[in-house]
Amino acid sequence: MHSIAIIGAGPAGCYCAQALAKALPDARIDILDARPVPYGLIRYGVAPDHQGTKAVIRQFERLFERQGVQFFGDVTLGRDVTLEALREMYDAVVLATGLDQDRKLGVPGDDLPGVLGSGVVTRAWNDAPDSTPPQIGARVVVIGNGNVAVDLVRLLAKTDAECEGSDLTLTLPPVTRIDVVGRSPAEAAKFDPVMLKELGRLGAASIQVHGAEGEGKVIEALATLNGHAPEGARCAVHFHFGWVPEAIEGDTRVTAARFARGAERLSLPCDTVLTAIGFDGSRQEADVEGRIAPGLYTTGWARRGPRGTIPENRADAMQVAATIAADLGPGGKPRRDALAPLVPQAVGYAGWQRIDEAERAAAPEGRVRAKIRTRVAMLALAQRGE
Amino acid sequence: MPTQVLYGTETGNAEMLAEDIAGHIGADVANLADFDPAAFEAGTLYLIVTSTYGDGDLPASAKPFAEKMAAQQPDLSGVRFAVFGMGDSEYPETFNFGGKRIEEMMTAAGAVMVGERVTHDASGPDMADDLALPWADALMALA
Ligand SMILES: Cc1cc2nc3c(=O)[nH]c(=O)nc-3n(C[C@H](O)[C@H](O)[C@H](O)COP(=O)(O)OP(=O)(O)OC[C@H]3O[C@@H](n4cnc5c(N)ncnc54)[C@H](O)[C@@H]3O)c2cc1C
Ligand SMILES: Cc1cc2nc3c(=O)[nH]c(=O)nc-3n(C[C@H](O)[C@H](O)[C@H](O)COP(=O)(O)O)c2cc1C
Repeated sequence: MHSIAIIGAGPAGCYCAQALAKALPDARIDILDARPVPYGLIRYGVAPDHQGTKAVIRQFERLFERQGVQFFGDVTLGRDVTLEALREMYDAVVLATGLDQDRKLGVPGDDLPGVLGSGVVTRAWNDAPDSTPPQIGARVVVIGNGNVAVDLVRLLAKTDAECEGSDLTLTLPPVTRIDVVGRSPAEAAKFDPVMLKELGRLGAASIQVHGAEGEGKVIEALATLNGHAPEGARCAVHFHFGWVPEAIEGDTRVTAARFARGAERLSLPCDTVLTAIGFDGSRQEADVEGRIAPGLYTTGWARRGPRGTIPENRADAMQVAATIAADLGPGGKPRRDALAPLVPQAVGYAGWQRIDEAERAAAPEGRVRAKIRTRVAMLALAQRGE
Repeated sequence: MPTQVLYGTETGNAEMLAEDIAGHIGADVANLADFDPAAFEAGTLYLIVTSTYGDGDLPASAKPFAEKMAAQQPDLSGVRFAVFGMGDSEYPETFNFGGKRIEEMMTAAGAVMVGERVTHDASGPDMADDLALPWADALMALA
């Protein structure tokens, strides 16, 4: 019987476990995560008002509830257990640790108070353990032309009533103006046109699109948004394309963001700059099939970089699982029960279920859940009943 | 009546549900990606579970099937089918269009739909299994 450890309980790790459980029904599969709770960016990245997208969690629950996969939460690779130790214990180890460091703008002023990365902001809006609600003012510049930028705009522009059915529990600031700026022309923007069109349903935000020339689905979606002006709109959203960030201005806090397009300059007065230009983090070189070394693999964002949605991670994880299944020789390492005694404080799946139940029970009116906001409170809940 | 479960999926929800249905009624299950329309048999009931993606498109695993249907133009007279669609009301303009497309494609080829097409909502309160298993039971009682 083989044993496999997957580090990271985000979508890549969970889909990898799912595919491995199918291919190797007898294998022992353990998933470790640094947080006391599973599901990575499904819980702490995917927007709180996109509960349908988070519903893939139901597939992953089955791994732990019926397929014998074990969860070891609050276990950080490199701190609570070393990679070497894991590689000795398991026949295969999979790094599915994602990437969560916000990429910096790399222009003067990008470290001024008021400049915030999308990861920091979206984690806080998703109540990630020990995150602090970001200070966002009334005039916001969002830099970036991907779907995370759209999430930021949509959530800032929504009214409380429009967040009905979400698990957003923070009160977001009453923003009056949002400028969304991308360095590439509109034609090359990475927005998903369907996500853009969703902005056209905002009931309290007007939308103006500047300089979106060309063809294609993004251009068409932008054209349908342009001129959106619901009665009583409290927030004005402006899209700008082809502007390269030059500097963030301000003495003690951001006062403007400056951009260049050839010889032209655009200076947007603002009190907050949100950057949504991708993520960094530690990655290890792997071959085309996801092998880092014999018995060591990688999948998801940790493998391919911070690009791609949940479906792409599923395909990636299924491919890596197939590689692992094909690579595994006969037999298996004898020490597969060695992890539990090494990490006696780990939060198991039953502990997570207690947290989950408490979060659902605490949901305020119009919300589906109120997440536990600190690691300490999570651990206390998890350990109750043990 | 012989029965087969088919699914089209992108993130696995429809696959898990199709496997549950197949296990529940004791039928075979196949991914539409691996299913050739030439294999449809008159006298068999096909339970087709599919999600919706993009702008009301079929999910990735149903796309090769749609292409084969278009290329082969099979005559599906005598084939019976039922559709369980999965979608999300966060996409109101194209809600459950994947299931709708499958229905249209099958009907255009001469197959006959049994019962009403079901539309599951990922943002709604119902678990897919809670709708789908009684749905499958009812179809088996008819068949
Ligand atoms: C703000 C935001 C919104 C998004 N919205 C969508 C969307 O609506 N739809 C969509 O399809 N995709 C969306 N995505 C993309 C999607 O979240 C990613 O494609 C996907 O989560 C990547 O999966 P992953 O498993 O590789 O990484 P992650 O989900 O980041 O999972 C990595 C896991 O590894 C754990 N980990 C990290 N380091 C260690 C360590 N040293 N020891 C133990 N555990 C560790 C982390 O705690 C985490 O749980 C969004 C992304 C972001 C950032
Ligand atoms: C990017 C994206 C686009 C979607 N588009 C639609 C849509 O147009 N209409 C709809 O009803 N559901 C849509 N959905 C919802 C899915 O169909 C739903 O989540 C379903 O449960 C997914 O099933 P699957 O995992 O089998 O693919 C979309 C979901 C995502 C993530």
